[in-house]
Amino acid sequence: MNIRTLIVSSAALALSAGASGCRSKGDAVPPPAAATAATPEVEQKLTLGASLSLTGSLAREGGLTREGYELCAKIVNDKGGVSVGGKSLKLDIQYQDDTSKPDTAAQLVDQFNDKGVKLILGPYGSATTEAAAAVIERNGQVMADSAGADDKIFQKNYKRTFAVLSPATQYVASMVQAIADLAQPKPKTIAFISADDGFSKTATAGGVKRAQELGFKVVAEEYVPNATSDVSSALTKIKPKKPDVIIGSAHVVESIAIVRQSVELGVKPLAFAETIAPHTPDFVKTLGPASEGVLGSTQWTTKTAGSDKWFGTASDYAATFSRQFDGRTPAYQNAQATAGCLALVLAVEKAGSLEPDKVRDELAKLDEATFFGPLKFNPAGQNVAKSMSVVQIQDGRAVGVWPKDSAEAPLRWPGASPGKG
Amino acid sequence: MPEMQPGVTQGAIANPAGPTRPANGTARPMHPVAGWLAGAAIVLAALGLITQLYTGQVRTVTTIFMFVGLASAWNLIGGFTGYACFGQVGFFGLGGYATAVSMSHARLDFWLALPLSAAIGGAFAALVGWPLLRLRGHYFAVATLGVAEGLREIVINLPDLTGGGGGITIPTAGDHAPTPWLGNDGFYVLFLLLAAGVVAVAACVSGHRTGYALRAIHQDEEAAAAIGINTTAAKLMAFAGSAALTSALGSAYAFQQVTIFPQRLFDVELTVLMVVMVILGGAGTIAGPVIGAVGIAFASEWLRQELPRGHAFALGALIVVAVILLPQGVQNYVRDAWRERRFSLLENVRRYRL
Amino acid sequence: MSQFIQATLYGLLQGCMFGLVAVGFSLVWGVMHVVNLAHGAFVLLGAYLAWQLNAAFGLDPFLGMVPAGLALFAFGYLLQRGLINLVVNAPIFITLLLTFGLELLLVNGLILGFTADYRSIPTTYAGKSMVLPGDVRIPFGRLFAAMLAVSVTLGLFYVIRRTRVGLAILATGMDRGAARLMGIGARHTYALTFAIAAALAGAAGAAVGAVSTFSPADAGRFTLFSFVAAVLGGLGNTSGALFGGLLLGVVEAWGGQLLPGTWINAMAFGVLVVVLAVRPQGLAGKAFYASRVEV
Repeated sequence: MNIRTLIVSSAALALSAGASGCRSKGDAVPPPAAATAATPEVEQKLTLGASLSLTGSLAREGGLTREGYELCAKIVNDKGGVSVGGKSLKLDIQYQDDTSKPDTAAQLVDQFNDKGVKLILGPYGSATTEAAAAVIERNGQVMADSAGADDKIFQKNYKRTFAVLSPATQYVASMVQAIADLAQPKPKTIAFISADDGFSKTATAGGVKRAQELGFKVVAEEYVPNATSDVSSALTKIKPKKPDVIIGSAHVVESIAIVRQSVELGVKPLAFAETIAPHTPDFVKTLGPASEGVLGSTQWTTKTAGSDKWFGTASDYAATFSRQFDGRTPAYQNAQATAGCLALVLAVEKAGSLEPDKVRDELAKLDEATFFGPLKFNPAGQNVAKSMSVVQIQDGRAVGVWPKDSAEAPLRWPGASPGKG
Repeated sequence: MPEMQPGVTQGAIANPAGPTRPANGTARPMHPVAGWLAGAAIVLAALGLITQLYTGQVRTVTTIFMFVGLASAWNLIGGFTGYACFGQVGFFGLGGYATAVSMSHARLDFWLALPLSAAIGGAFAALVGWPLLRLRGHYFAVATLGVAEGLREIVINLPDLTGGGGGITIPTAGDHAPTPWLGNDGFYVLFLLLAAGVVAVAACVSGHRTGYALRAIHQDEEAAAAIGINTTAAKLMAFAGSAALTSALGSAYAFQQVTIFPQRLFDVELTVLMVVMVILGGAGTIAGPVIGAVGIAFASEWLRQELPRGHAFALGALIVVAVILLPQGVQNYVRDAWRERRFSLLENVRRYRL
Repeated sequence: MSQFIQATLYGLLQGCMFGLVAVGFSLVWGVMHVVNLAHGAFVLLGAYLAWQLNAAFGLDPFLGMVPAGLALFAFGYLLQRGLINLVVNAPIFITLLLTFGLELLLVNGLILGFTADYRSIPTTYAGKSMVLPGDVRIPFGRLFAAMLAVSVTLGLFYVIRRTRVGLAILATGMDRGAARLMGIGARHTYALTFAIAAALAGAAGAAVGAVSTFSPADAGRFTLFSFVAAVLGGLGNTSGALFGGLLLGVVEAWGGQLLPGTWINAMAFGVLVVVLAVRPQGLAGKAFYASRVEV
């Protein structure tokens, strides 16, 4: 036996002895710093965990979500904090980066659980939310889902995740409904172009179903690869069918490509409708005049009906947001994030405790009006009381056109100007 | 051909007084039994470690075990044989999806799905390896990359089978589940055993004739063929073996994640991470991939927690610096530096410089 | 029928852009045996530079190809001379890893500097199209981009084959030792090659910015398509890479028409694997270096 062998063997043995012998940590006992409601005198804060996509493909939207959570914490704390069982607790949100990857999101939720943080604010995007929801269910935590709209998440019998936003099936269906309600003369044919990810496909399926119910003829349903900037093959296939409306169910880059390449290829529908892209600033900036008249659907506008004691009405929220963030108007991702945080705050207040099971029960029973619209969950955890809004780009701005009672301006029809291309 | 037995050298026989520095400047390799003992001790230590960790940390360490296994499996084809397989993640994803599909459509028990996925991975590798292993160097790398990317696209385009871009979920709730979910601790042990298994396979191959054949192919393939090694068979075995082990890890990963998406299971970044770990740890050695996997995984996790916005940037900088300073990998550097008492890193830099 | 012609024309235009990006990649690979995984990041650097010039001075992106190309030329030269020359003699893994680390650095640096937003450089004319019979349309922006790409590639071809500098590059690629014996400075020549490749990528990036949207996350995609196009054309074969890019564009276009849209990428990789398995020296011309193991 030479020296090297000896050294390596003894090091390994020492390591194994040390690691397994010493002390056992017991059954996942969290460190005492994050006590539960059993000792409220020690706990001065209401700690929420948020695993967000601060880097990676969803970095931008993750950033918007973070702003929404931060605003919630600031306003709630400015107004004295959350009253729990007679005490006022300050809201404290801990952020971690899930790099837009679902398995990292799941890992982070577990790590929050280790630290005793049981109340979680959802990540951005359906895939990460789905991964997190599975862990939430196992660990007995509670999650307010502010940005995961895919209905698939809620078909798994999870009882501890509550989505404040309208489900994916509504994203396209609401636009179809708006067209049916408001467009004069009513168009006859619709072509759908969808990106290939779960969320977009669910939205498209919902839209196709609604279109058929309302008597439209669906002439095409084309799928394009996710995150592509070239949808020319789908458009070339659609062109001979001369659809009245082209509806895109995709993210920003595909949506921009649809409008821009339609102009290039001479595809001229009466209007375009894209789901989430039109009210992002990039859309109007990139497409310029071609973006006029494009419809979009959004979870929230500054005219959404509803008000609550923390944020007031939707336009009050917008004003508060502007003051906090360099005069910018809030995007719906900001609003839905704040709404998620708000849902947890309301539930904690009603429960009068931080115990996850009690908070969960209060969330299930919640029926409140807020700046974001009504918050009320069905047994699966989806917010079915709230409807989406449909906007249209008019003079470079996204204005609400549907539902009528919260509309800012009437629909301009046809959406696309005939002189283009 | 003279029989080469590690552990028995001139020095020990010539000087019964005990170990000395041999005159010809070569160090004695470690006695093989010591290597196995050390390995077993480390596995025990890791098992014991689970009692010290909280749930979130258990998941992190489980990921580290997975990378240890992946890196060691890649080492078989990339390190020993020198064939830069840049499509390794294709086998990972194939194994993962094989398990997910068989568990959700055929309600197969996980303990059957795991070996089935490994077999599918190995068979697929043998199939594509047949034409592709004739390519060398960069061509092989690009071809395997194409295979991996192609696999991902195929998976995306079979939505009825695989759920397409929207992902597929393995049923783990209640009595729908063919196998109950193993729990964080259960997966910790599973990945530990899998990783230990892969390293053990690598160690066996290394000491066996096959290992010598692979190394010969790496150094000079024509000469290896000239002395009678069946290079095609050896390469195919290494490729298929590496693929089967990777598929097994993919299978376990899919079960752990419950819901899997093609973008993640076939992410080319996983391949690159495997390559980085093996190269920086020391390609062609047993301990090298392990060191590299543990080191890089720790560094990546630490960076992510400390620098939420700049961690990928920092990781890139780290890789660049490490590749310049330590191109032969930690294990080889330590061995050479110990043997020759030359620790200068700058000499390393001059080694491959133009 | 006009649908088919439309798709083919569009695919050819797209293919010219692929080709421009692939030409530099192929040159670096063939001459130096370096697989530059950061090539896509160079394209994006050019795109962001052109965008910045457009935002600050209103410079047209097609004109912006020139400063983007020049800036990337200097950057590429320094990078090769200072960093990549350190590992040029190493096994391929090392250069692969180094360029991968560089790609991480560049892409994340761009994200930190410019955020991950999708951007584009709007022009008044790029969206308008020329109308051919059968309502087949050729967008002006893409047409310019394709014409510029082809002319730059032809220019490169001329430089490589007819000037002393180009011949020095070829010679160094064929046999570095012999070239050095002839008095050619290998370090400088390698750096020049890399600089040329980076400049081409940067110019392509400016063109991409004019006709479509870009974001740091696209870097990997550009690199991958460079791979495919370069291999199709034969590594080291500059005109072959252009041809490979065209072929890739057309194959994608036809695939998009005949198959559901989501099969496009699968087809691109399928073509790659088949070509490599059957004819690794590419479809156009002779191999620069032996690719197969003859045993």
